[in-house]
Amino acid sequence: MTDLSHPRRFGAVGSLTRRFRAEPGLVIGTALLAVIAVVAAFPGLFASASPFSVDVGASMLPPSAEHWFGTDDVGRDLYARVIHGTRVTLSICAGSLFISALIGGTLGLVSGYFGGWADQILGRLIDVLLSFPPIILGVIITGVLGPATVNLILALSVVYMPVFFRIARAGALGEKEKTYVEAARSMGISEPAVLGRHVTRNVMPLILTQYMILFPLILQIQAALGFLGLGVQPPVPDWGAILEQGKDYILYAPWMSVFPGLAVLVTSLSLILVGRALQKRIDQR
Amino acid sequence: MGAYLVKRLAASLLTALLASMLVFLLVRLVPGDVVAQMMGQAGGEAAAGAMREFFGLDQPVYVQYFRWLTQVLQGDLGTSWTRGLPVTMLIGQAFLVTLEIGLLTLFVATVVGVPLGIVAGIYEDGPLDTFIQSINVVGLSAPVFWVGLMLLVGVSSMFAWSPPLRYVPPARSLADNLSILALPIASLAFLQIAAYSQFVRQNVVSALHQEYVRTAVAKGVPVRTIFFKHILRNVLIPIVTFMGLILIQILGGVVIIESLFALPGLGRLLLTAIETRDYPVLQGALLIVVVAAMVVNLVVDLAYRLIDPRVRVS
Repeated sequence: MTDLSHPRRFGAVGSLTRRFRAEPGLVIGTALLAVIAVVAAFPGLFASASPFSVDVGASMLPPSAEHWFGTDDVGRDLYARVIHGTRVTLSICAGSLFISALIGGTLGLVSGYFGGWADQILGRLIDVLLSFPPIILGVIITGVLGPATVNLILALSVVYMPVFFRIARAGALGEKEKTYVEAARSMGISEPAVLGRHVTRNVMPLILTQYMILFPLILQIQAALGFLGLGVQPPVPDWGAILEQGKDYILYAPWMSVFPGLAVLVTSLSLILVGRALQKRIDQR
Repeated sequence: MGAYLVKRLAASLLTALLASMLVFLLVRLVPGDVVAQMMGQAGGEAAAGAMREFFGLDQPVYVQYFRWLTQVLQGDLGTSWTRGLPVTMLIGQAFLVTLEIGLLTLFVATVVGVPLGIVAGIYEDGPLDTFIQSINVVGLSAPVFWVGLMLLVGVSSMFAWSPPLRYVPPARSLADNLSILALPIASLAFLQIAAYSQFVRQNVVSALHQEYVRTAVAKGVPVRTIFFKHILRNVLIPIVTFMGLILIQILGGVVIIESLFALPGLGRLLLTAIETRDYPVLQGALLIVVVAAMVVNLVVDLAYRLIDPRVRVS
């Protein structure tokens, strides 16, 4: 039967405006993220200049028609560097967070579902990691291991692993008491299969939402480590690394800092907006 | 309460112990050691060996750890390898700077963030709420150190003034001290105001939707009474809990802000210790950070129990 109470009179544009009124944050966030994703995938489409080509004669030029974001201390085009930095920065963040979700999530699921002494020991270890403020944990790991992209990824993967562990563990604990798990067990399905096929599927939305919520936070830490000189090393264009380079010239060439910082801000903002909308849906369920 | 406190303290101590072990191991398992870095190309094998022995690095790691732990339990964090000063003294000086920044930031965040959150919550979904929430999202998205940089540029171009480069302790000149700390605190507070007001707003909104508030409105209780007696009282508990969380976040943010504004606090001490591989200072500073975060958590937990009788019963 067709529902006559809500006739579709407005078409695609109408539904978009209606959606915008209902959840403006989600629409703005998704639209911005889509643009950022396209920039990360095809930076060459947006910036024709090379992010590496040095031109000492054109160093520290303010923003102009030729160099939209100005140039840095060795005359590289900052617009090209920020645009090409999108992929570098975001792939490091996305990859590291994926590693923490995979390892932390798996350990949490197993730990919560089976319990026992392994759960006790893991819980303790997670407490130890949680006893450090996240950024400090990142600073110690990258600082001690030395500044290199591999170490940065390692550090960023560890920082929020405990959060995924806790979310997955709590999810598994809640799910394992439910009737469907009992039913699956009584049908003779093995424990690992119940966990792998049924419990994991139900905990997955929690982990994915957490991924979105933590993404802006890991981006902040990635940028901060870069700013401290502990992240991606020059000449690779990375937002944090560009900021690190700009800080010495902050009063003479502020554009070196303004634009990469804005890139972090806009990306975080859109991630926060989308993450919040997702969280709201999870809460309503 | 007593039994609970003992249990909590025991758990915290165990975690601190494990954390110190983790740091100790991490620092030492890394390839390339402090002696090689300190001596550079100069000096032969014999000199390097003598230096390792002097620092106790020739011993197995577990012996080094127990030696360090015994010292720590006696209140001695060792001597800095690069500066030759007692670590407790270095940390003591640095901690005061960080503490001042932390507490002042917390103060600003509370004084600005809580009222903003209350206003946003009361006018839920109104224009004022939308405005405050938009600013909050920007506050949460902007990197703390970048806000610091922008403030530096803004202040110096508008007032032709930039903060003095040398830190002055409050005991020498409070005015100078505060003028140095103003920008760092403002940059840290921007984020925390956003976080705080966001949190308070949520709590006010959920308190407003409670049935007892609706009942009170229906009974004709004056708005002011409803606000102070029914809403504020229920929002107060989460506000206290959140204060602890904010303080721990500030402790993390301080590392970057101190490095940006060249402030001699715990964060800078930590970074320098990492750079120079000054193990005793690094271990000591991290131990203090972990213990400080634990103390904050414990105090919040206890305060929570004091304010909310329901927690005590369960």
